[in-house]
Amino acid sequence: MNGQIAQPETTLSRFHTWLAQSLVNNNEFFAYFEPFIRLAMPAWSTVGVRSRVMKVHSETGDVYSLVIRPGRRWKNFSAGQHVQISAELNGTLYTRTFSISTSPDYFRKTGLIELSIRSKPDGRVTPMLKEHFAKGGVCTLSDAGGDFLLPEGNEPLLLIAGGSGITPFRSMMNQLSSNSLRDVHLLFYIRNSSNALFRQELDRIAELHPNLKVTFINTEAEGQVCEEHLLRYCPDVADRIAMVCGPTPMIQGTRNLLSELGLPADQIRFEYFGAAPIEMEMTGEKSFVRFKTSGIATTTTPDEQMSLLDLAEKQGLTPQHGCRIGVCYQCVCTKESGVVFNTRTGQYSDTGKEDIQLCISVAASDLELNI
Amino acid sequence: MTTPMPSAESLKAFEEDLNQIRDEALAKVGKEDADYIRRVVLVQRVLDLGGRAVMVAGFYHWAFWVLGVAMLGIAKIINNMEIGHNIMHGQYDFMNDPHLNSLKYDWDGACSGGSWRRTHNFEHHTYTNVIGKDRDFGYDVLRLSDDVEWKPLYRMQFLRYLNMTLMFQWAVAFHELHGYILRNMRNKREGKAPTDNSELKADFYGKALKVLFRDYLFFPGLVAIFLGWPMFWMIFWGNMAANVIRNIWAATIIYCGHFTGNVHTFAEKECEGESRGQWYYRQILGSSNFEGPRLLHIMSGHLSRQVEHHLFPDMPSYRYNEVAQKVRAACARHGVPYNTGSFGGQYFSVIGRILKYSRKPKAQTQTPAAA
Repeated sequence: MNGQIAQPETTLSRFHTWLAQSLVNNNEFFAYFEPFIRLAMPAWSTVGVRSRVMKVHSETGDVYSLVIRPGRRWKNFSAGQHVQISAELNGTLYTRTFSISTSPDYFRKTGLIELSIRSKPDGRVTPMLKEHFAKGGVCTLSDAGGDFLLPEGNEPLLLIAGGSGITPFRSMMNQLSSNSLRDVHLLFYIRNSSNALFRQELDRIAELHPNLKVTFINTEAEGQVCEEHLLRYCPDVADRIAMVCGPTPMIQGTRNLLSELGLPADQIRFEYFGAAPIEMEMTGEKSFVRFKTSGIATTTTPDEQMSLLDLAEKQGLTPQHGCRIGVCYQCVCTKESGVVFNTRTGQYSDTGKEDIQLCISVAASDLELNI
Repeated sequence: MTTPMPSAESLKAFEEDLNQIRDEALAKVGKEDADYIRRVVLVQRVLDLGGRAVMVAGFYHWAFWVLGVAMLGIAKIINNMEIGHNIMHGQYDFMNDPHLNSLKYDWDGACSGGSWRRTHNFEHHTYTNVIGKDRDFGYDVLRLSDDVEWKPLYRMQFLRYLNMTLMFQWAVAFHELHGYILRNMRNKREGKAPTDNSELKADFYGKALKVLFRDYLFFPGLVAIFLGWPMFWMIFWGNMAANVIRNIWAATIIYCGHFTGNVHTFAEKECEGESRGQWYYRQILGSSNFEGPRLLHIMSGHLSRQVEHHLFPDMPSYRYNEVAQKVRAACARHGVPYNTGSFGGQYFSVIGRILKYSRKPKAQTQTPAAA
């Protein structure tokens, strides 16, 4: 939920905050009226834009798309950007980040956007979202964000997608098909021919626009991204700006390949796909913990587990804390992403952004904390 | 005298029973609890706004003033007890709602949220009824057990009790700073350097200014602008009456939770390294419940279930009633005293305790005057 952008403090804004705190015990007046507004507009929120999910349709395999009509206050977006969607499932507000898979042009014409989501069977939120919105419903959208955008100018592009990493490229390809003569080549790595997302749509775009080329590469038959593929399918790879989106190992491998092929760093753009929910795996291995506010990072060892509070203090940080046994809630802090293990309830947390108690939380995956 | 602590082993089975009760209840937490607290918030807002509006009609007939004061008083009670106290314990953090979050919430009262979380959530809930550690036991103002040395000043403690009840929000607000001032007085006697409390002072005066401004300047002034000067005082006194109603009610509920005749106290030494079972045992013996209709439970912020609240301070209050029956049965099985009674009965038992310990102890009377 980050609809708010930090604005510079002025005397007026300080007075406004003070007055709101005095009169309604909150930093913003709207928070006080939220329950009333919700009587007329359920799920209205002071953060984000209230939007309507029109329907859900299944794509190939375990991927589905949410068709959303963003509320009037929602600003436009650029192809390749992502958005945070929040929905209340069983009393809890969940927030997840997904790329917008349709084009800005489509939004202008229809007022609709689509988020294409892989439903992980063992995931907590992605299957629930599909079920929850089966008949449509209300959600909250943040403004679009992210800088994985089509580069300015007219240089030729090489887009490399892995699996559901196709979503930002689907948006770009559709956008390019409506107004551009740019030379673009999309390499789409798919597990097998039957589960290629958006295959017909991409084929049709390629058919109608000679400047937009699409190559599907079957990883079961041809293997993962390699030098041979790049040179065979795209001999002039070094003259293009490369954009990569897909699973983390694929991105890392492809980036190395591209720089070996002579592409300078500014010619390689990439987006680690999927706000962690999809990619996260629970292992007994080391976790990488990043304390965002203080800019300190560290790793934990699986054989020497300690609470995040201890871990932070070991790094010389001094988060607010109290009882250290999970009672007093003074050490509550916002976890941006990652899974923590709650030593008191014995449960694993959700993967997205939420508040956790540092003193009874142990890293169960890579983490980013707001400390 | 303080109560001895049974061994950790003897309380092992008891601990497991209580853990199971907690897990069963927490597994059910979800939409029902979220809907409940949202309903309570809505009712509170209606009474808050409605009370302030109806009070203005007092110029037409005094009965409106009385009705408005009553509504505002009840709104303040609900704001402090069922919403504020419980939200700040983190009971509804599972909702991930930015306006019902333990760290961000602030209430309609003179005590700042930060100070409350430190003194109440940490000191009081961790060291419940441990003499010398839990300053909530008597607030350094009342003598409620023979662990505190008797002084002639305590003869008048019933008057202190009345005064504190009427001014309760200020007693709570001043509580933390008071502790520092007392400590610094001790430091001075012992020739030690004083602890810096400038931040606490700023916190105290900052919040005090906000509540004073709203109730005694802003709303009276706003009404006076439109309806004339005499209305200023009508709203001024109305707001003060509402605050006093809240003060009396909150103080009474809280005294009934910890100061009844049968509540036990503990020695600091006995609680060192205590097991969860021992902690549970201490929480139960240090708290007392009272029975009544559902409305009484809601108006008391479910502190009528003080025992359950102390066992599971972060469990949504909505669950306390169903959990209470199970806790009571578990206590009966394991022979642990469970303190409950009628509201009136518990209240008179509190008054009895205050009077009892205001008198000079007999043992001291028999001791010959020291040379």
